[in-house]
Amino acid sequence: MGGRSMRGRFRRLAAGLLALGVAAGAAGAPARAASVLRGRLNADILSTDPGTKRDENTDAVLLHVVEGLVAFREDASVGPMLAQSWDVSRDGLTYTFHLRRGVRFHNGAPMTAAEVVWSLDRYLDPKTHWRCLSEFDGHGQTRIVKVQALDPATVAIQLDKPSILFLKTLARADCGETAILSPASVSAKGAWIRPIGTGPFMFTTWRPNEYVELTRYRGYAALPGPRDGNAGGKHALVDKVRFLVIPDGSAAEGALLSGAIDVLDGVSPSNLADLRASRGVRLDAHSTMDIYALIFQTRDPVMRDARLRRALALAIDDIGLTRVVTQKTAQANSALVPTSSAFHVGVQAQVVRPDLAKARALVAASGYRGQPITLITNRRYPQMFDSAVLIQAMAKTIGVDIRIQALDWAAELDRYNHGAYQAMTFAYSARLDPSQNYGAVIGAKTSQPNKVWDDPFAKALLKASTATADVAQRQALFDQLHQRMLAQAPLVVLYNPSHVAAVRDGVVGFRTWSTVQQRLWDVSVR
Amino acid sequence: MVGYLSKKLLLTLPTLLLVSAVVFVLIRLVPGDPAQVMLGDAADPSQLARLRHDLGLDQPIPVQFALWLGHALHGDLGRSISNGQPVLALVFQRFQVSAGIVLAAIVIATAVAVVAGLVAAWRQGGAVDLAIVSGATLLLSVPSFWLGLLLLLLFGVKLGWLPFVGYVPVTQNLWQGLAYLVLPVATLAITEAGVLTRMMRSSALDVMGLEYVTHARAKGLPESRVLLRHVLPNAFGPTWTLVGLVLGHLLGGIAVIETVFTLPGLGRLMVDSILARDYPVVQGCLLFTALVYVLVNLVVDLCYPIFDPRITAR
Repeated sequence: MGGRSMRGRFRRLAAGLLALGVAAGAAGAPARAASVLRGRLNADILSTDPGTKRDENTDAVLLHVVEGLVAFREDASVGPMLAQSWDVSRDGLTYTFHLRRGVRFHNGAPMTAAEVVWSLDRYLDPKTHWRCLSEFDGHGQTRIVKVQALDPATVAIQLDKPSILFLKTLARADCGETAILSPASVSAKGAWIRPIGTGPFMFTTWRPNEYVELTRYRGYAALPGPRDGNAGGKHALVDKVRFLVIPDGSAAEGALLSGAIDVLDGVSPSNLADLRASRGVRLDAHSTMDIYALIFQTRDPVMRDARLRRALALAIDDIGLTRVVTQKTAQANSALVPTSSAFHVGVQAQVVRPDLAKARALVAASGYRGQPITLITNRRYPQMFDSAVLIQAMAKTIGVDIRIQALDWAAELDRYNHGAYQAMTFAYSARLDPSQNYGAVIGAKTSQPNKVWDDPFAKALLKASTATADVAQRQALFDQLHQRMLAQAPLVVLYNPSHVAAVRDGVVGFRTWSTVQQRLWDVSVR
Repeated sequence: MVGYLSKKLLLTLPTLLLVSAVVFVLIRLVPGDPAQVMLGDAADPSQLARLRHDLGLDQPIPVQFALWLGHALHGDLGRSISNGQPVLALVFQRFQVSAGIVLAAIVIATAVAVVAGLVAAWRQGGAVDLAIVSGATLLLSVPSFWLGLLLLLLFGVKLGWLPFVGYVPVTQNLWQGLAYLVLPVATLAITEAGVLTRMMRSSALDVMGLEYVTHARAKGLPESRVLLRHVLPNAFGPTWTLVGLVLGHLLGGIAVIETVFTLPGLGRLMVDSILARDYPVVQGCLLFTALVYVLVNLVVDLCYPIFDPRITAR
């Protein structure tokens, strides 16, 4: 009896141990860990609603989640995204978009013309506060009269006047790429919930001021071909993308070196030397379409004389300044047309060289008597401050007394918007067509005090450049505008900064491009 | 006691009202507004006007203040202009992060300072005193951001012992959360220990020169008893006042520490909001900070009788 009992106990014990072993074995089986790619944001995102409450960080994150009908390619041209193709009517007033089939939203619902109409109607409603509404409500280039679904895969957009910038504006990152969203993104009462888009990643977690996490969308319908700007074939190569909010540049650099992040986007030139010397990290740089410039208030009693402004332009060693300020990551550019634009050829590509003798003669002819000129700058963007310091020194060589006033960015922006300055180092964010670059500076100061160049003829040239799609004609107009700008010198373009990123060796496929927006699709991590 | 407390709390109301009015006007007098910051260089006048109207910024300042005050009295501090989150919830959420770090750092700094200050005073003029005073002076002189970065580089990058960036609440994961707090707490404790040590040493020296300490020694009491029973309680009063001031000041925000260690605390919220001209958040943060400052000092006042029975809360 006792023996049987012992044997029974032993069997039960053995069976138990076996079961435990199997369970332990199962638990110890090499389960595939989720691959996570960690990037950095220098400030938190402002919202999850694309193209509304936004900044560059918000755009960068959300363009992993949502897509528009069209998107920008690497060469700043517009390519298809959710629209397979489009037709433009002869009068340029109707754009008919043929939608791609088989595209599904992150909630599994198919993307059809109904959602396109809903999305565009929502953006055109002033209550949405779409950043680009003024471009399409009659205040800007054109007005969208009607958005209509012709069939489940075809949408027509009717304009009140033709605009060659229509597609480019739709594709702008700051417009949220005019994202096509699922109506489930908002509540029954119309309140925003979260973006349910068609992008390669789904929006999953936002811990304010800590991180934003996106998850691979397994049902993503990728376009054929390689990644091309915000267009082309996009692929989520990792399970999760996590953007960590790290405001301090030095802390972000340390985070990269310690392996806390994989990609450090937007490296400041002051941190480049350290990173270049670091093992296990490589740098990737690309010239952007942002424009750094010295702008003048042409209505100021001292600065109204074009000879003095030209003298300052000729005193600036643009090539030297650019080399120092950007740590050799950017090239000098005297034109408003960015170096990466297809229109940056011929006269546009000629950098203005310093000519101190001529500059001194112009100063003398202008009647300048040594009055101090206040140059406003800020420390938030170190390149603007450094440029101001160098400009001050260069102006001194021709006898012009420049005094630097450093403000915080919001205060400088306020002065810019009110035209309340004599001179200012300023940065214009990327505009992907030269007409938009000139449009940012040309205008009547009485109605738009933030405009730098108040010249009716320049305004006429600008208008002509937006009325034709002929490349040669537009090139001639931009060249004319450029030469007129150099002659009148309402501003001195300095350079297009490079966007520099540092990535750890295990990261494969990361590449910067001509905008400051970081892309973590088609990027994997070993 | 209850009467004293009620009187003190009632007195805070005019202070808070004054603070909110001053902050409200001052932040609006600073050039730049949230609409401009949000729209950036690409804004046109019509866009700016529309956004200012939507945000209520086109109304006269007294009207804006009256509206804000009306809501504030009902416990609604408005919503962030930048991201639309309720200000009160945002401030509380961020305060928890700052408060955890500050309280831990102050407890550690005070403990270190009391011991070091007392020993330095006891060994006045000797090598130990010189070492402690020099160390405290050095800690006083070291900027917290520099020390923070140094600790990050050493323990985060070189040694890899502690996480480099990020934050995990201790309520979510205790050990991970503590790991993230070690370096910021250490940085803050080290920098604050300097000033507290010097204060403790100075008041201990004052007390040690008094007759009753000489009398205690003459009675033949052991030195440890003289220090702990007779010197410490009487010397701690001034240090305690300083602890209260430092605590009130730090609870209002440790922006530099929070920026270096990427912690989502109140200080960083305030700095970000000022730069973005996020008026409701700036107002909410400063009002809350003023309240905390008043309350901390009230608690310090109420604790005095513990250290010095001659003082009573009347």
